Amino acid sequence: MKKLVIKLGVYAFLILISLEVLVRIFYLGEDKPSRFVDENRVEKWRPNQEGYSVTGNRNQNFVRYNINSSGFNSYQEFEPTEDGYEVALVGDSFIEGFHQPYKSSIGRKIELELGEKIKVFEYGYAGYDMADQMHLIHAYREDFELIDRIYIKMKFSNDLNRGEYYIQSERLNLESPLNKALKKSKLLVYLSEIGALTPVKNMINDARMLVQGSSRSKSVTQQKTESKDKMFLENFKNLVALYGYDKDKTVLLMDVSTTPKLFLDYLDTNGFDYIDFGQKLNNADRNTTLVYDRHWNNFGRTLIAELLVEDLKVAGIIN
Amino acid sequence: MLFNSLEYFIFLPIMFLLYWFVLGKGLRLQNTLVLVGSYFFYGLWDWRFLFLIIASTAVDYFVGIMIHRNEGDRPKQKLWLWASVIFNISLLGFFKYYNFFVDSFIDLFEVMGYSIKSTWTLKIILPVGISFYTFQTMSYSMDIYYKRIKPCHDFLSFATFVAFFPQLVAGPIERASNLLHQITNKRTFNYNQIVSGLKLILWGLFKKLVIADGIAPIVDDIFLNHETYPASTLILGVTLFSFQVYGDFSGYSDIAIGTAKLFGVELMSNFKFPNFSRNVAEYWQRWHISLSTWFRHYVYIPLGGSRVGQARALRNICIIFLVSGFWHGANWTFIFWGGFHALAYIPVFLMGRNTIYKDNVVGENSFFPSLIELGQLVLTFGIVTFSRIFFRSESLTDSFNFIGRIFSDFSYAPYEHPNGYRMLDYFILLAVFVLYEYRIRRDERNPFQFKSKSVRFLAYALVIFAMLLFYDSGFDRSFIYFQF
Repeated sequence: MKKLVIKLGVYAFLILISLEVLVRIFYLGEDKPSRFVDENRVEKWRPNQEGYSVTGNRNQNFVRYNINSSGFNSYQEFEPTEDGYEVALVGDSFIEGFHQPYKSSIGRKIELELGEKIKVFEYGYAGYDMADQMHLIHAYREDFELIDRIYIKMKFSNDLNRGEYYIQSERLNLESPLNKALKKSKLLVYLSEIGALTPVKNMINDARMLVQGSSRSKSVTQQKTESKDKMFLENFKNLVALYGYDKDKTVLLMDVSTTPKLFLDYLDTNGFDYIDFGQKLNNADRNTTLVYDRHWNNFGRTLIAELLVEDLKVAGIIN
Repeated sequence: MLFNSLEYFIFLPIMFLLYWFVLGKGLRLQNTLVLVGSYFFYGLWDWRFLFLIIASTAVDYFVGIMIHRNEGDRPKQKLWLWASVIFNISLLGFFKYYNFFVDSFIDLFEVMGYSIKSTWTLKIILPVGISFYTFQTMSYSMDIYYKRIKPCHDFLSFATFVAFFPQLVAGPIERASNLLHQITNKRTFNYNQIVSGLKLILWGLFKKLVIADGIAPIVDDIFLNHETYPASTLILGVTLFSFQVYGDFSGYSDIAIGTAKLFGVELMSNFKFPNFSRNVAEYWQRWHISLSTWFRHYVYIPLGGSRVGQARALRNICIIFLVSGFWHGANWTFIFWGGFHALAYIPVFLMGRNTIYKDNVVGENSFFPSLIELGQLVLTFGIVTFSRIFFRSESLTDSFNFIGRIFSDFSYAPYEHPNGYRMLDYFILLAVFVLYEYRIRRDERNPFQFKSKSVRFLAYALVIFAMLLFYDSGFDRSFIYFQF
């Protein structure tokens, strides 16, 4: 038995080392940029980092990211001016665009379409909700006052869980010394990315919930959709009251088909502009999302860029 | 609990440690642990159906004793044997075939012009493994009836034999003559046996996670959308399904056999590289061996086997293939699948070539197969793969539509993976897999046949690496044969 245990231990150790080497050789595990909270209490990527984002088991998608000095993934620095035309895209991972080459992002597509007339700054960060986004605009109000048009990408059912901004400790826990140490293993990063660690995480969560004697997901599903919608609307009103909202230049970018009438009516009645991207994407003759995740593919991003260019023309920002 | 689940990878080491180091002192403790562990293993799926296993165990334990007790009184023995058969077949009939028969009668009446409202159809859950353990318990009673074994008088051992978790839910269907005596004797720790078990588990996981689960999304997509694909894609789909079902089931069997070895038990081989068969008869000597053997011993031979007139022998062949097809599932597609194999087997039988490859492998005296053998392999694989259209389709209509499209839209179009992966990866994977299996074709119980320790280590690392490369977290990872 002793022989068996020793041999198994040695083999397991050597195999783990071999896997770590193989994962590094084939560049299967992605680079994880580090995140932080700046002096304005805005959570974002630590400025001036670059690396590779990898999707899927076998390098299905392999793109370089470039975090600029403002802490967002972009090919350019965000330096709004009084004279130039600047547009801000604020949103979650769809705007952040780790799934795409940053040189073919939505913002870049708009710039290419409109020549040198305009600069598009993409304030995207995976996991941002409406509270994050509106707090960001408020925190950087000096910059945003110089920006001529602001588009906020939102999904009603996901992004209005909070009526006030606070720092999300769960996300920042990823920066704990333990997590940082774990992230040094490309094998662990890779296993986590492909979902191989999900059963372990689920089991730990289940055990934790069992000990606590609670079931969080159950209580959420028990809430009636209608009251939830009302709560989300109240959260939106709260955020507007807390952080301000420049109706003249801010436009919500959302899929109307998945947004409740209650919210749409509120926006219409109170003069909030919005653009529906759902119709254009749903009516497209080709697939608009990536095959391996639900982010917009190159074609989907082109369609979104077209919508925004159209809006910029209608709004008279450019001719 | 699935063999490829996290729960199992916690359950197995605990069982192993308890078995050898805590409760491994005596036979009764070993068997008690295995029995409790097996019931826990099964109960995690649905504890209510444990009662069926216990009932089947109790009935055949009692029947076995009664058959033996009535030695010399053949009619009484027969009566007891029928009691076992009727009980087990009733369980199977109710849980597996009840709705099939009701629906088939309704369809039949509708063909005759009578419309019947289906009020008899019930919502019945098919208990996992019922086709396997009922066959195992029945074979025990039959073996006592045919005087091949003596009855077991220790209920604990007998219950352990029936519920032995490595093979409880999808076989191999063990005959009492092979398994029971291992359960009634104390097992001793054997280092080589355990290492060999671990290797088989690793190889089985590779076949399941990489081969079967890797190509499953492609097969699912092609069969689901077969009406939109050209012949080239349909042929690709059914060919890949052939590999999928082989990887899935033989992978399961390897894990089962490997797990049993960890507990000092040797189960029978269930697969001997069926893809390297030179005719359909050889295929059936290499595919799901425990089921084929079961049908040969308990159906084919009692019917007279091949030692009767030619007409009756052909009838017997048709019967076992149709019954075998029906065993797989309550659907006409499986009966057609069985019938198709009967038709493919009969010419081989009539030419007297059904046993000529029994004791040798392709390329017996050389590394490479001869050109003739290569042709035979391709032909056999083609026939078996074609039959898989029936096996995989949801209904006969789907099967014939699928076949119809292959012949009516005989064209080529490149196929794109539904999740955007490179198809080339899968072709390379399968080519390497086939060549590797060809290399180890003489010994199905030793998948890592390398003398050099470092090469063997490299093979382990690559096999695990491949599992990571093809792991799909979004895919339902249960085993195909669980549904049977």
